[in-house]
Amino acid sequence: MNPKLECQLHMTRRHFFGRSSATLGTAVLANLFKDKLGAATATSGGDDSSAGLPGLPHFAPKAKRIIYLFQSGAPSQLDLFDYKPNLKDRRATELPASIRQGQRLTGMTATQTSFPVAPTIFDFKQHGQSGAWISELMPHLAKVADELCFIKTMNTTAINHDPAVTFFQTGFQLAGRPSIGAWLSYGLGTMNQDLPSFVVMVSSGSAREGQPLYDRLWGSGFLPTRYQGVKFRSVGDPVLYLSDPPGINKPARRRFLDDLAKLNNLSLEEFGDPEISTRISQYEMAYRMQTSVPDLTDLSAEPDSTFELYGSEARKPGTFAANCLLARRLAERGVRFIQLYHRGWDQHTELPKGIRRQAKDTDHGTGALIQDLKDRGMLEDTLVIWGGEFGRTVYSQGRLTEDDYGRDHHPRCFTVFMAGGGIKPGISYGETDDYCYNVAKDPVHVHDLHATMMHLLGVDHTKLTFKYQGRHFRLTDVHGEVVEKVLA
Amino acid sequence: MPTQPHHLNLCAFFSTALIALLGTGPASAAPKDETGPPVQFNRDIRPILSDKCYTCHGPDKSKRLSNLRLDNEEGAKADLGGRFAVVPGKLETSQLIQRITTDNEAIRMPPIHSGKKLSGEQIDLFKRWIAEGARWQKHWSFITPKRPELPEVSDPSWPRNPIDSFVLARLDREDLSASAEAGRATLIRRVTIDLTGLPPTPGEIDAFLADSSPNAYEKIVDRLLKSPRYGERMAVRWLDAARYADTNGYQTDAERYMWRWRDWVIEAFNDNVPFDQFTVEQIAGDMLPNATLEQKIASGFNRNHRGNGEGGIIDAEYAVEYVVDRVETTSTVWLGLTMGCTRCHDHKYDPLTQKEFYKIFAYFNNVPEKGKAFKYGNSPPFIKAPTREQQRELQKLDKNLALAEKSFKGRQAGIDRAQKDWEKALSDSDRVDWLLHDGLIAHYPLDGTLSGVTPGASRDVRARLRDGLPDFSDGRLGQAAGFDGKRFIQAGDVADFRFYENYTLSAWIYPTSPNGTIIARSKAVPTEVKGYGLFLKDSKLQLNMVTRWLDDSSRVETRQPIELNQWHHVLATYDGSLLTDGSKIYVDGTAAKLTFVVDELNQPFGVKAPLRIGAGDGDQPRFEGLIDEVRIYDRALRPAEVSVVATAESLSEIAKTASADRTQAQFDKLRLAFLDQYSPEEIHEAWEKLLGLRNKRAQLVESFPTVMVMQERENRRDTHLLLRGAYDAPGEKVTPGVPAVLPAIPEGVPNDRLGFARWLVDPGNPLTARVTVNRFWQMLFGVGLVKTVEDFGSQGEWPVHMDLLNWLATEFVGNGWDIKGIIKTVVMSATYRQSSRADAELHDRDPENRLLARGPRFRLPAEVLRDQALAISGLLVEKAGGPSVKPYQPTGLWTELAGGKEYPQDHGDKLYRRSLYTFWKRAVPPPAMLNFDSAGREACTVRETRTNTPLQALNLMNDVTFVESSRMMAERMMNEGGSTPAERVAYGYRLATAREPGERRTEILLDSFHHHLDNFESDRKAALALVTQGEHPRSQELNIAELASYTTVASLILNLDETITKE
Repeated sequence: MNPKLECQLHMTRRHFFGRSSATLGTAVLANLFKDKLGAATATSGGDDSSAGLPGLPHFAPKAKRIIYLFQSGAPSQLDLFDYKPNLKDRRATELPASIRQGQRLTGMTATQTSFPVAPTIFDFKQHGQSGAWISELMPHLAKVADELCFIKTMNTTAINHDPAVTFFQTGFQLAGRPSIGAWLSYGLGTMNQDLPSFVVMVSSGSAREGQPLYDRLWGSGFLPTRYQGVKFRSVGDPVLYLSDPPGINKPARRRFLDDLAKLNNLSLEEFGDPEISTRISQYEMAYRMQTSVPDLTDLSAEPDSTFELYGSEARKPGTFAANCLLARRLAERGVRFIQLYHRGWDQHTELPKGIRRQAKDTDHGTGALIQDLKDRGMLEDTLVIWGGEFGRTVYSQGRLTEDDYGRDHHPRCFTVFMAGGGIKPGISYGETDDYCYNVAKDPVHVHDLHATMMHLLGVDHTKLTFKYQGRHFRLTDVHGEVVEKVLA
Repeated sequence: MPTQPHHLNLCAFFSTALIALLGTGPASAAPKDETGPPVQFNRDIRPILSDKCYTCHGPDKSKRLSNLRLDNEEGAKADLGGRFAVVPGKLETSQLIQRITTDNEAIRMPPIHSGKKLSGEQIDLFKRWIAEGARWQKHWSFITPKRPELPEVSDPSWPRNPIDSFVLARLDREDLSASAEAGRATLIRRVTIDLTGLPPTPGEIDAFLADSSPNAYEKIVDRLLKSPRYGERMAVRWLDAARYADTNGYQTDAERYMWRWRDWVIEAFNDNVPFDQFTVEQIAGDMLPNATLEQKIASGFNRNHRGNGEGGIIDAEYAVEYVVDRVETTSTVWLGLTMGCTRCHDHKYDPLTQKEFYKIFAYFNNVPEKGKAFKYGNSPPFIKAPTREQQRELQKLDKNLALAEKSFKGRQAGIDRAQKDWEKALSDSDRVDWLLHDGLIAHYPLDGTLSGVTPGASRDVRARLRDGLPDFSDGRLGQAAGFDGKRFIQAGDVADFRFYENYTLSAWIYPTSPNGTIIARSKAVPTEVKGYGLFLKDSKLQLNMVTRWLDDSSRVETRQPIELNQWHHVLATYDGSLLTDGSKIYVDGTAAKLTFVVDELNQPFGVKAPLRIGAGDGDQPRFEGLIDEVRIYDRALRPAEVSVVATAESLSEIAKTASADRTQAQFDKLRLAFLDQYSPEEIHEAWEKLLGLRNKRAQLVESFPTVMVMQERENRRDTHLLLRGAYDAPGEKVTPGVPAVLPAIPEGVPNDRLGFARWLVDPGNPLTARVTVNRFWQMLFGVGLVKTVEDFGSQGEWPVHMDLLNWLATEFVGNGWDIKGIIKTVVMSATYRQSSRADAELHDRDPENRLLARGPRFRLPAEVLRDQALAISGLLVEKAGGPSVKPYQPTGLWTELAGGKEYPQDHGDKLYRRSLYTFWKRAVPPPAMLNFDSAGREACTVRETRTNTPLQALNLMNDVTFVESSRMMAERMMNEGGSTPAERVAYGYRLATAREPGERRTEILLDSFHHHLDNFESDRKAALALVTQGEHPRSQELNIAELASYTTVASLILNLDETITKE
């Protein structure tokens, strides 16, 4: 920031103290303008939301922040992580009824007359000390295999995209509940003064069209809207309405805000409404964001080594790799919950072609991010999560040929992986059956994953509640158990 | 209130925040008397029991512990083996007291693991309550309100109406006094914004300031209530409650059309439809005897819920969700009950059972709908819903049409004579024929040439033979093309129908094999063949439209096979309804009985491949035999037209047949041909005129918007209790009914959805009137008298002014549910008219103004903020109703989420309509609305919330909507505001706040103006950039640097706290 402007700003603040102390008391104003200003402030009063709820965290957290790389459309666990070599011999045989168990199917394959087993056509190899099986599709990820904790037995309640993604992000299939990040912002407050505590980025890949996403996935539901995720965009303003209109330069905006503060201060004297003080501070926060956000998204100061690590794709705004790099920069600046969305994993048909493309889009950035965090010593207190809303069927949807097949939605078992932030590295948790169709051992439900995430942040998921419509709601509804065995 | 004095002394704001965060439990209720009157069960005890005890000792028997229930008197005072929880008057034998006061953590209630705790104050209340006799009360909101007596007040001159007596009596008890009346300018701005959602004009302010008559204020109120803007203002909150939006809400989130319902709401508020009628028509307007179009439209209320059209969903699952949504929404909006809790189990806090949930569910479970909604557009049942203007237009057209029909009938004798002469001449002539050409887009006669023709088109439709050489032979009409199971005709890029368009496929066929493609436009993709076509399958005819086979396609098939090796006329029509029911197949001119094989059409089935005759793509079998006379129409022919098309005999052949021997189709063909092509000019003209009117009418009807409505199935669908609320776990069968804790359905009212609607507004219903006036109160004062506007159950808040709430409710019902009446009563009160200025002490003591010792002051709702800016700048375009519009929105928002279509921004007037007409896409709502706490419109929302964030600051400073408003406001300041900068900035300030700026503000504004002017004069490029923001043209006469500087000042004014706040 321009030192002269900074000086002006401080003068303006002093000016407020002098002016208003007569009516409101110096302590109040001192609090209002102390340096740790909240990202946002409460409805009818000027609380300091950086503090979060009293009593939180409930215990010492292992992770300070989460980077959640959400793979929308549901990646095939069979072709990426859950290696089933014995399926090769059963290629094109009918999925046994003893495995199928008459469980529900989507309307897309429910009427299919045959369910031929489609083994993956991709090679798997073991990697690292831990010997994790990873498909040839994920070479960069394979390099950090020893940091990863695979959960092979994720399962969910929903079988279609919209309810399943909504379920993963809000703990409920239908719209209306707060998202994970909103819960965390509400409970834990913010750790920085210049950026929101919950940031979302949607990357664009080479898939022609992905499943749609919705604002509700990072919405605040019934929590106050200030807890909603702020979407950082790769086109236009990184944050909506961030740029001053053409013709208004920085000094003009500074002057504008000074005048605005003077005028609002007159109203404060007249009406005594503390909401006015809050408003003044929110304009100052907005002004700081105008500097801090462009500074954050400007990658020009990153050394070449960064792009060697993340790949040249990371130079293209909006790619998954670029967003992974931004995620690291956000993490460095104290943003608590960073969520990336990448679409295009919905391969009902032509899966081999589609998944190659998806893996190419996401593998490099994911591997680089984990390595980068580790190199910077941040991985130990940053929880990284990678996964989609459900898995895919072992049987082929539509035609099965030598080199082509499709897979339908499969909520009964699929793989996500986590790294860092108090997670046991280099392990695989849970087992699926020979067909990767049912959980054989140690199921992990979405609610359990949520409970575990919160646990790592020092939150007892049963105790972070919000009363709405007469009920104490929580992210995990009335379910969820911390998966103790994946904790370091 | 659990006050923390040291905290309060340090920072007054923390306590407020604490309340906001703790939500709405009894702990956050406004201050109450600590020692005075006796403990009241409902006010003091029930909220604690509910919050701390009912989870384990409440109505839900499945979760009840130790067989102790504390939600009713019998349970609390029951003999549990010689031990009693509550013994009136006896603290020592009341186990409840012992268990909450014991030091033994192992047995102390509430248990430690529950995370709940009683405060010392709460324990004292329990003690006092039992000592005073432990009197029980039915939960207050389930008792029909009685009109309370007016209380004594300290200053009888203050009350203007009973509202004020209740308020002042309470202030007297709190030892507070009311505030003085707000200044006139503030008052007119407050009431104008409250009743119309827009600010007053300077002229209106001046008139009010100058009006010294005693009823000056009342005149303003009456004028505002008559303004059509009133209905728009009232509608917004109702649309939030009704989860109204312009998209379906799931997955693709494509457009739907419910705006006719939205306009009905606006009109109903403006017509001041009494709230009971407003209710009945929205819940069950379709079931009223001889329901009018408007009443049917009203029933769309319960079709505003989201609809899932995602491929592969399980129908039954969503069929349940829609009904659940109706139950939850209806019970929240009218009853203030959280019925949603009882979907899976008995209510934990209120006397509502799971079974009762499904009894209400049963009222709404009889709609002829599917769980899988249409991905695009409205899902059945829907109706055509012409606007009032279109209805008038139709009436006019019908009148003209009737006249024309009559006059044409009058010519009958003359026509008959002329036709007879023509027929005579015809019977002597060589073959003469005629073709029904209305809507014909491609005609392949196949008489030795492959090309098709289109009437009126200058060029033929070029066609080519593939996989063989042409083979023509004698056909049904002239020649026909021969097919051998290999060769086919590639018939050009025609007939690329959209799935919501009408079409007709017609041909003569002579099949020699039971399987073959007659006409198709299709393309093989990996799993199936996409597209549409008419096929022969096992000698039966099929019309198929396929996006994805089975879950996204439509197939009908004739029940009877046709004879092979002979000529048949085959014709298929589709009416664009997305329903299989909209497909018809005719064989030899007669409608065939059909089997509906698949009825799941949901997405566009168009393909790039050309039209083919005799073949499709992929594995679709090719035709064997002859095909002749292929015709394609871009409309669905009517049955009478079909039989004409299927009449092979030429005009001359028919003419030669004795009239008694002619079939109806032959007769029709002659008559149509004559009128169309062979009649004398005078008759032809009359016919054309009639046809013109008929077409115009058809086009008008076609243009009518549709709206989804409620309907009843003919055979009532059974309703079962759903175990754990799961769609696939039906329990016992239940019949419709209302919760036992509330009055029964009145005598003589049928026990159906209509009966339920009437029950909602029965004067004996204890909830509806209270819940409704409470929402009005929230709209005007920012917080309801019951803060939990959505929950009047035991977890809800005890009303701060119980008597006032009851008085308003009884007043509302007593005056015939007169909405304008009750709102007028509130805004006429002295309470409403108070100044909102207050000292720190009052803010401290009553941050949310629950005691009403001052006037309301809070930030304007999202839509008012935008509308106000448009109004102040003069940009606002006032036009009532119609399809939703798409004003400015940052680019890319739709694309980056929905991955498809970009937001097609409108231009011109549509940029400046009121915000309630802004297109509401549920997946990506208008960002400026969400920034300012708008409801998301995914589910019913009745609570108004307000936050204060930096994103709001950025929005007001930088959104082009507000920048453009600033520069247009600047033009007004320069053109209308006077000649000096001082006058102009004062004018701008007054436009926005209705007030005069005063000396200090003027000084700051002027200083600001001059500062910016200095800069813009030296940087005219910057000035030009600023004053060209937005699409509205700029006034060319004004100096650019000056205009830019005033624009900056205008923006400053639009960002002022007092501008964005109702004071």
